[in-house]
Amino acid sequence: MAGVASSSRQRSKIAPYLMILPALVYLAVFFVVPFFSLARTSLSSSGGSVFMPTLTFSWDFGNYLDAFTRFPDQITRSFGYALTATVVCLLLAYPLAYVIAFKAGRYKNLILGLVILPFFVTFLIRTLAWKTILADDGFVVSALGSIGLLPSEGRLLSTSWAVIGGLIYNWIIFMILPLYVSLEKIDPRLLEASKDLYSSNTRSFRKVILPLSMPGVLAGSLLVFIPAAGDFINADYLGSTQTTMIGNVIQQQFLVVKDYPAAAALSLALMAVILAGVLMYTRALGTEDLV
Amino acid sequence: MAKEIDPRLLSQFAAARTSRRRFIGGSAAAAGALALGGSFLAACGSDDKPSSTTSAAPDDGSPASGTLRISNWPLYMADGFVAAFQTASGITVDYKEDFNDNEEWFAKVKEPLSRKQDIGADLAVPTTFMATRLHTLGWLSDISDAGWSNKGNLRPDLLEASVDPGRKFSAPYMSGLVGLAYNKAATGRDIKTIDDMWDPAFKGKVSMFSDAQDGLGMIMLSQGGSVENPTTESVQKAIDVVKEQKDKGQIRRFTGNDYADDLAAGNVAIAQAYSGDVVQLQADNPDLQFVVPESGATTFVDTMVIPYTTQNQKAAEAWINYVYDRANYAKLIAFVQYVPVLSDMTEELNKIDPGLASNPLINPSKATLDKSKGWAALTDEQTQEYNTLYAAVTGE
Repeated sequence: MAGVASSSRQRSKIAPYLMILPALVYLAVFFVVPFFSLARTSLSSSGGSVFMPTLTFSWDFGNYLDAFTRFPDQITRSFGYALTATVVCLLLAYPLAYVIAFKAGRYKNLILGLVILPFFVTFLIRTLAWKTILADDGFVVSALGSIGLLPSEGRLLSTSWAVIGGLIYNWIIFMILPLYVSLEKIDPRLLEASKDLYSSNTRSFRKVILPLSMPGVLAGSLLVFIPAAGDFINADYLGSTQTTMIGNVIQQQFLVVKDYPAAAALSLALMAVILAGVLMYTRALGTEDLV
Repeated sequence: MAKEIDPRLLSQFAAARTSRRRFIGGSAAAAGALALGGSFLAACGSDDKPSSTTSAAPDDGSPASGTLRISNWPLYMADGFVAAFQTASGITVDYKEDFNDNEEWFAKVKEPLSRKQDIGADLAVPTTFMATRLHTLGWLSDISDAGWSNKGNLRPDLLEASVDPGRKFSAPYMSGLVGLAYNKAATGRDIKTIDDMWDPAFKGKVSMFSDAQDGLGMIMLSQGGSVENPTTESVQKAIDVVKEQKDKGQIRRFTGNDYADDLAAGNVAIAQAYSGDVVQLQADNPDLQFVVPESGATTFVDTMVIPYTTQNQKAAEAWINYVYDRANYAKLIAFVQYVPVLSDMTEELNKIDPGLASNPLINPSKATLDKSKGWAALTDEQTQEYNTLYAAVTGE
């Protein structure tokens, strides 16, 4: 009897590990191994034949120095664009998520469905569609031009505004959904209680709703900022020669120049800078749990 | 199947489409080409699909049978052509339009090829410089003269080209010009020289190729440089001009093969362009013009090659030979509208459409051809050096 009990206790100890095993294997195969391969490449120097280079691991930290000194414009531009896109996404998404969570009533599912609907269309098609909408001869440009609201280039497409707009459009859903989830979780009785205590609407938003929705704000910001900073499709299709982002450089180093160590160093540098930014951000917001 | 359709009708159909051989190339857009190319293919209702094979060839060891896997550029094929080949040869063709960009394709196949592993294609259609690179790396099979009896139809200048004298490993498929395309409604005047690209009136309305050879060639020619004998100095001199104009905001985009969208939409007034694309675009927009700059333009030749990992060498040779039949080849030209690589095509082209052979972009004048130069076969080091130098401008 005692033996059976201890073996079942043992089994219950192993069970959690068994349950995370598939995820661990997945992470090991698709993250840890490629990550180390990338890190190794980034510290290698290439030699031998030009198109079939042999990479020799040589602790070549010069690749990292090069990454920062050769492409400072693209790095600052990427973070500038991503930051702008994240802030605008937050400003646009918060009221929408608020309305869906508190005011939509029986239309809640319908509105959520409408929010998600455009994302059934491929990312590329949606981005290319903006090329048509923002075309120089299109009605948007002529309408804005007639009221004098065009940027200095006299066009919309192939400007930084188009790139930032594309980033906002493509990533905003990742802001709306976490915000909605965190707002939806708020117990309405807390709001009633704040009203009972004579709090104004503004005050109960500031003291009750906003703090309780912070996990959503944090998660949403990260989900928008991180992919936006590494994006290259929007800059490629909606941008110009003056709006290249670090993603475009990495892509070009990998596929055209085929300087794998430089490309790998750039990728890891980007990752490190994002990680540092994210750590500072989470610390500043003081949120322990992300969701 | 092809016999049921009037080829002339087909050629008009081809010209009416705004889609082109290199529909979307830009190294970013392999996926885009798949997404968009797919829908255009569906719209074509092509009967080229491998599923429509008439019958599996008997695998009895007779010359050229079984399955042939072809990897070609998007929209570089005539409707009914593959089916007609299958009927004529008994070979089953698995035809894929998955070749979007030379360098990107190379990045994809180099690992398996270096280990002599199958790349899923028995025949591919890289541009000359890429075919040469593959040959130098020892990754191509020679094309046997026995299986290629129509070789004599090849233009003499291409047969004896310095990159592959006597055409041992590469069979030219199409040739064309890299020149300037412009929208006359937008420019308001004729464009004749490279300097016209830098006219301040067209600020932010000019696009250039991001590919080093296609982008820089005509600039080098305008500076008195040579693409047949390029030097680092002449390449750098061209890059300096491009950088200066880019910094001024004159150049809107460095494009892959997606320049035509901007040109057709009016976002770009002058674009570096491939001749065949413009012939097709003119059908929709008569304002579009293609011009060889006064100082000259560069030519390109895409070639059929057989990777050394091919699983059906004989069928690949049978395909090349079939393409090299003038009557067959005329059907291809009617669709893709590039410059034929076979000689004496006038008669066959006129059978399909009397206007075809006299189109100056399909049949360029001697004056045009005299101004057009082909890039020398660059060494790997040169290619890498020029790519890196140019990328420093296009990527910043």
